[in-house]
Amino acid sequence: MEIKVLFFGVLAEVTNTSLKHYRDITSFSDLMHRIQDDFPEIIHYNYRISVNNEIINEDPMLNDSDEVACLPPFAGG
Amino acid sequence: MQMCLTEGPVRISDISSMIAKIGEIFDAGGHSLFLGQVRADMIDNKTVIAIEYTAYEQMVKAEAEKIKATIISEYPDVRSAEIIHSVGVVKAGEISLVIMISAGHRHQAMEACSRTVEMVKERFPVWKKEIFDDSSFQWKQDM
Repeated sequence: MEIKVLFFGVLAEVTNTSLKHYRDITSFSDLMHRIQDDFPEIIHYNYRISVNNEIINEDPMLNDSDEVACLPPFAGG
Repeated sequence: MQMCLTEGPVRISDISSMIAKIGEIFDAGGHSLFLGQVRADMIDNKTVIAIEYTAYEQMVKAEAEKIKATIISEYPDVRSAEIIHSVGVVKAGEISLVIMISAGHRHQAMEACSRTVEMVKERFPVWKKEIFDDSSFQWKQDM
């Protein structure tokens, strides 16, 4: 399946991108490994993951065309 | 609840328009207005001259709906709620967040406004980069 991955805040700067498409993803764990392979430096940062606008607390089932986002701590207002 | 993201600082004219509309809310007896302003913090002998905001816009809208549901559930006297949040560069002294809550009575207006401010800060996927007077910057974390 193909997954759209968004990077925000400091992570957009660290990865030098705000959007990357990953193809042939088999699972959430597979996606996380692919992201960390591409951007090994992100393991040094604190961030949460959302899938289709919902923050997740455990590994979810992914579906084709899902939108996954890497979210550093929020700082609105 | 009305929610919008605006490019750059919230304009005084937008705040005026928001206040002008309260005359249409005949069943409200009190309105509480919160204005969030970019503060010229001094950090390591450098002064913050601006903040650059970025947002996950789609998720901000989804979170605004959840906040609305919480406010309606916890404060049944609330008649309307409006939020404006900046994206992009906002200079020190300019407004980056406006929240206005209208309710039948003052206590619920003030309490719901305070609760909304806290939920926005906790739940809106927004990030800010502090820009200093020597052109350096740092990512600010509130939590």
